[in-house]
Order: sequence, then C-alpha cells, then structure tokens
Amino acid sequence: MFKKILVGIDGSTGSFKAFDRALEMAKKSGAELHTVTVEELPRNPEVIGELIEEKELKNGVAKRAIIQLQEKADMKGVEVNSSIYAGHEVKTIIEFISAEGFDLLVVGFMGHSALYDRVMGSTCQSLVRLAPCSVLVVK
Amino acid sequence: MENVWLVSALWIGLALLASLVSIRVGLSVALMEILFGFFGGNFLGLEVTQWVTYLAGVGAIVLTFLAGAEIDPKIIKKHFWSSTSIGVMGFFAPFFGVMLYARFALGWSWPQAEIAGISLSTTSVAVVYAVMIETGFNTTELGKIILAACFINDIGTVLALGVLFANYNLWLVLFAAATIGLLFLLPRFIPWFFKKVGNRVSEPEIKFILLVLFLLGGLGNIAKSEAVLPAYLVGMFLAPFFLEERVLAQRMRVIAFAILTPFYFLKAGSLIKFETLVSAFGMIAVFLGIKMATKITGIWPLTKAFKFERREGIYTTLMMSTGLTFGSISALFGLSNGIINQDQYTILVSAVIGSALVPTMIAQRWFQPKKTFPKENWLKW
Repeated sequence: MFKKILVGIDGSTGSFKAFDRALEMAKKSGAELHTVTVEELPRNPEVIGELIEEKELKNGVAKRAIIQLQEKADMKGVEVNSSIYAGHEVKTIIEFISAEGFDLLVVGFMGHSALYDRVMGSTCQSLVRLAPCSVLVVK
Repeated sequence: MENVWLVSALWIGLALLASLVSIRVGLSVALMEILFGFFGGNFLGLEVTQWVTYLAGVGAIVLTFLAGAEIDPKIIKKHFWSSTSIGVMGFFAPFFGVMLYARFALGWSWPQAEIAGISLSTTSVAVVYAVMIETGFNTTELGKIILAACFINDIGTVLALGVLFANYNLWLVLFAAATIGLLFLLPRFIPWFFKKVGNRVSEPEIKFILLVLFLLGGLGNIAKSEAVLPAYLVGMFLAPFFLEERVLAQRMRVIAFAILTPFYFLKAGSLIKFETLVSAFGMIAVFLGIKMATKITGIWPLTKAFKFERREGIYTTLMMSTGLTFGSISALFGLSNGIINQDQYTILVSAVIGSALVPTMIAQRWFQPKKTFPKENWLKW
C-alpha cells in the first residue's frame, strides 16, 4: 500500500476530484496525505512589485481552494499537509516528489482538445511520464 | 492617420494583445509589448506621435522610480562588500567590454560606443527576483547578496546615463543641487505630508510624486542629462517609505502598467527595423555574447572570492547578465538624442532583449542550484 500520497491542486474541478479519491485512499490505508499547488509567475517582470502582487493574487486563489479541501479532510478525520510553491508546474512537482519521497502522485485529468494536447502536451501527460513514483490520474 | 482616437485604439489594442499573449505564454508583458511594437512599427504603420512620445517618456520615468523604490537599504547594508564589489564589477566589465568592441571593432564614435556600453551593462533586478522566488533563493543569504548586487549594478547604469552625456555647465550644477536637496528633504517631508493629505480619492500623494519627478526631469533635460536618473535616485531614497506603503506603490504601478509603460515598450519595439534585425543578426549575437562573457569574466572570480560554490557562482553570474528595462531605456535615450541611429538602436535593443531571455534559460537549464522546499511553506490542517 502507499504510505505517502501527494495530490496536485490547481483549483480546477479535476484536481478536486483527485483530492477526493486520494482522501478515500488515505482514510483506508492511513497514508500521509499532502497537497501541492504550484503557481506559475511572470518570468520577466519589470519590477519586483509586479511579481509580489501576482503571487499574492495567486496565493489567495490557492488558499481558498485549500480551505475547501481542509473542510472535506476534517469531516473524514484525515490530516493534510498543504504547500504552495512558485515555479514550473511539472518541474516543481517532480522535484518535490523526489525531495520528500512520495510514493503516489494523484492528479486530475485536464480535458484539453486533442489538438492542444498534441501541440502543447498536457501537464498530466508530462507528470505521468516524468514522476519517479506511481501516478493516479482521476477522471 | 490623423484621427487621434483611432491611433489610440491601435496602440492600446496592441497593448491589450500583448497582455493576453503574455498571460498565455507566461512571458513578461514588456517583452510582448516590444514584440507587438516591432510588428506594428514594421508591418502596420504604427505611428510614433508626439503624445505617444510623451506617454512613453512618463512611463519610463515612473517605471524607473518604481524600480528605485524597491531597493531595500537593509539588504545592501548587511551585505555591503560582497554585493557592492559584485554589483560594481557587474556594471563596469560589460560597460568597458561592449564600449571598446563598438569603438574599435565596429568603428562607432565614442558617444555611440558609450550608449552601447551602458545599454548592455544592465541587469534586471525583477527577473533575478522572479527566478529566486521560483528556486526559493529569495530567503537565503546568497539570494540577498545577488539581489543587492543587482541594485548596485543598476545604480551604475543609471548614473552613467545621467552623467556621461550631460552638459557640464551651470544648469548641471543647478540640477545636481536641486536633486541632492530634494533627496535630503523628501524622506523627511513625504511621510509627514502624506499622513496629512493621504488616502483620498483625488490621489494627492501620486500627484506630488509626479510633480517632483517632472520637475527634476525638466531640470535634467535642460542640463542634457536623463530624467530617469533623478527618478531612480528619488525612488531609492524613498524606498524605506514605499516598502512600508505598499498600497501606494501598487496604485502607481496600476497607473504605469495600464496606460504608460505599454506606450514606452510598444514605442521601443516599433523603432526596431526588420531589415537591420535580419542583416545584423550576427552582430546582435556578438553584442549579447560580449555582455555575457564580460559579466562572467568580471563577476565569476568575485563569487569565488566570496566562497560561493561553483554552480552557485555561475548561476549568480548568469542571473546578473539579464536585462531589459534599463537597457532599452538607455538605447532609446541614445536614439532620441540623436547619438545613435536607428540601425544601431535595433542592434542594441535586440541584444538587450536577448539578454532578457538567453542567460536565464542557460542558468535554469544547466546551472540551477537545487530547489529548496522549506517545511515552513507547509500548511497543516
């Protein structure tokens, strides 16, 4: 069974579904449950203030999502560790998994068009390919 | 096109498109505005009217002021020697390297070569800070040293721009005296004055700051200096106040980013000539290469002296090779004052844009120190 589960949260319905599934698994197996939210910030800002403002804005959105998840976890009596980092979504999640030794990553499925996925590739696909642990994609 | 509203619609439409694309691709809106300006200037007949030049000028002044107002004196004081030596070298190495190349290898006149040196001596504090937030380095001592060094580097650039091309006459003395006097008075006067009149819908604080910036900019113009010099210095001296009064800084940023800086960056882009960009691509690459090589030669040994790890040293050096805002301001100053021509401007601004992208990509791809995941970021429920 999995001992340390990480859920990627981006505030989307898909990521909430992924959290629900991970919560059930953690409840049944007693695994540690973590969530990670990665904020993509402007790469070439003009002033530092622009960056701080953007980060605060995104932090607000992420924290609102995390509070909702907390309520769900509280009802099930499961402890959740939530963290927010800045950076590239895929790269940061992969590095976080390696640094903290998670053995399962749970992510929501993002329904892009086939063309978008072919041209841009999806976050989901990249995580499945690059994660150093098992990945569960929840649809 | 003489219809002022249609011209406005074209400019602001391009600014809007630049914003939308920057949101989509995750690159800076300034870069996108330069790109759209380039497209508009070369293919849509985007017209640089007098009022566009005015708005762009105000944009550059306010942006420089905001950049100055972000300098945290505590960080510089704490890491004075390491950050000053790295910052000073970060300015002088590329300044001399690029200037000598432009003068002796390309045969540019001394003033033209000086503009080239200044344009490519810059670093981008905000880009460096963005990368640091991503890597978690903004909270480390190393991160703070790099950031302080970037501030020092930029001070060098702005001072050079303000001093090298000035007319050394009575007006310059008057300009210097007024600037020094205000720099001494403002940090004492402004907190008191803003407490008295502040937080009104009519925004007296912002109007007062603009008054000071325009007044000093005007005196600077008469002395043939550059208005961004006093703007940066005033920002720097008011930084302790503005770092506390973040709402005021945010309101100024809203004004600047909504209707001022788009005109500045679009204008900067519109003046890039497509033909020159194509024909002088090699020269642009050489300028960018010299900027990076001289930054490495100047800064890397110092990072070793201050006992940075090899990877951290190279990373710091590459971070300090970035640049956009001050580089483009310097090149545009040269063009507006007839020091350089449009071909030279195209070459310099293109190299500046390259320096906003290439060093960061190399640093993040090959030399990024291990990202940290501090447990303090964890929110336990």
